[in-house]
Amino acid sequence: MRRFFLLALFLIVLFWISSGCKGGSHIVIGYAAPMTGESAKMGDDISKGVLLAVEEWNTKGGIHGKKIRVEGYDDRADPKEAVSVAQRAISQGVRGVIGHYNSSCTIPASNLYDEAGVIMITPASTNPQVTSRGLKHIFRVCGRDDQQGKTMADALQPLGKIKVAILHDKTTYGQGLADEFRKHLSSDIQVVLYEAIQRGDKDFSAVLTKVKSVQPNVVMFGGLYPEGGLITKQMRDLGISSIFLSGDGTYDPEYIRIAGKAAEGAWLTYAPPADEIPTAKEFLKNYQAKYGEVGPYSLFAYDAANILLGAIAKKVDASGLELANIIRSTQWQAAMGTIEFTEQGDPKQAPYVMWTVENGKLVVKK
Amino acid sequence: MLIQQLINGIVLGCVYALIALGYTMVYGIMQLINFAHGEIYMIGAFVGVIGLGWWGAEWLITTNPWIVLSVAALGAALFAGGWGLALERLAYRPLRGAGRLQPLITALGASIFLQNFVMVSLGAREKVFPDLFHGKGIQLSTITLSASQIAILVVAPLLMLGLTFLVKRTKLGIAMRATAQDLKMASLCGINPQSIIAVTFVLGSALAAIAGVLVGSLYGVVSFYIGYQAGLKAFTAAVLGGIGNIPGAMLGGFVLGMIEALGAGYISSEYKDVYAFVVLIIILLLKPGGLLGERVAEKV
Repeated sequence: MRRFFLLALFLIVLFWISSGCKGGSHIVIGYAAPMTGESAKMGDDISKGVLLAVEEWNTKGGIHGKKIRVEGYDDRADPKEAVSVAQRAISQGVRGVIGHYNSSCTIPASNLYDEAGVIMITPASTNPQVTSRGLKHIFRVCGRDDQQGKTMADALQPLGKIKVAILHDKTTYGQGLADEFRKHLSSDIQVVLYEAIQRGDKDFSAVLTKVKSVQPNVVMFGGLYPEGGLITKQMRDLGISSIFLSGDGTYDPEYIRIAGKAAEGAWLTYAPPADEIPTAKEFLKNYQAKYGEVGPYSLFAYDAANILLGAIAKKVDASGLELANIIRSTQWQAAMGTIEFTEQGDPKQAPYVMWTVENGKLVVKK
Repeated sequence: MLIQQLINGIVLGCVYALIALGYTMVYGIMQLINFAHGEIYMIGAFVGVIGLGWWGAEWLITTNPWIVLSVAALGAALFAGGWGLALERLAYRPLRGAGRLQPLITALGASIFLQNFVMVSLGAREKVFPDLFHGKGIQLSTITLSASQIAILVVAPLLMLGLTFLVKRTKLGIAMRATAQDLKMASLCGINPQSIIAVTFVLGSALAAIAGVLVGSLYGVVSFYIGYQAGLKAFTAAVLGGIGNIPGAMLGGFVLGMIEALGAGYISSEYKDVYAFVVLIIILLLKPGGLLGERVAEKV
């Protein structure tokens, strides 16, 4: 009797889970990002961007009368976890996924989405390989690291003959950006040090002591804000006065919080300021009213979600490949401005500009 | 550069040693590897952050950073000591006499629980430790020592001396050593092993918590996952020095810190952790008991 009862209970739970997943009268999309762990802040920003977009669609009545439901997936910035949440998202029948954040997660997960015919639009993964592998369902709304690395290298041009030390965090994104930067450096600039650090480390005194001994004019870091902030802080503590140069992974108010005063004068590449784009103003106002401070990838996630939902709205029962073709062939009026995709799935225009920290705030470098 | 790297290594070693003491003391008495110990260190660091935030009195931090830091460290030690005690009571005491595997698995579970508990209750984001010293430090030609590094270099050796004195000279220390040698015999001689075990947990947790506050002020950032890596390194230090042996844990900590700093400085920081573990393997091959470990006859 007891065994029968348990079996019945098991079946009920099983039904409940499977019926909850398929959505029925809903259109289900997902976001996948690191919601816990070191990069949790970025995941938080991305999820809020997506939620805001979905809420706006739902208040307008959804898509052809169907409400939109969002599923969140936490990849913990771990490639293994990213693959497993991608599997789960696919099995739960999402039409598309906004994510992931880390290139090292996006790349392995994108293979699964592509095979299953699920659209993936990453708001933040900048490694060229995300889109260069010919996957039909994979898009991004941010720039690529070859563009970003060039912007960084070009910014050093006016400094003339200088010495550069390069540090990276061994991830697909960090090392990829460091290598692109190195490739684009002019022959006047000498790379005096090229070293890797460990993600999650807190102590960089040993490697920074080494940096100090080669006396570079610029320390370039390919990696994310937790390590970027600590490196900046410990660099200044050790008395290294070189310029700190990093990319969009470090571009965040958290970076300034962690590095404190040491962040002053750091150079960071990122997209042009959103508050100068007229269409983004509306987004900024709504986001701030609802969630407070706008993160570096909130807007990208918002636009990515709008593009995905816009494509679904054009043809509700479209297959994954049809959706991908709609996304590729449409000129999207997004909050960031007009977005058009290349055949690969990159945005046609993705300019990077150099930012700097002034009085504890991120401002465009003049 | 060599001197600077040596200083980096000693500072790192001090921290590892302080945490390693907790592993080794508990192992010495209970033959239990308390994997939740790294989490206690993390909780200590969090108490530091929260305490200094509550205080909020900016002027106190700017006028008397040393006093603020000491009080924070003391508070963290007390609080984390309480956590250590609770951990022993709730997780390990019910399993006393149940063999060695069960408490070990419980320790792993406790570690996961504490980590996620802190993550859920305090958030997954990094907490910024108030900048107590504003970059004040000592500059001797090319060598730089930050105020937080000085704090570690002063406090850690003092604590280790204090612990050595406690274990070697006081009645409590004698009781601890007696319990470590033979729990049953010690209890026959009128020592209450339960309270000795509890004291050991509290002492180890307090040391780890002080290390947590000091490290927090050195790096300026505290997050819920810092206990894992610190715990792993400190455990390595304890094994390196000979687990169960108190001077061994201190020596192991310093050796490990030194290897990491010199390896990262002179070979490549890419494989910083590899050097530490390679040395561990070599030492365990040559001296399976660790650097100062004695080959103890099998207890019957």
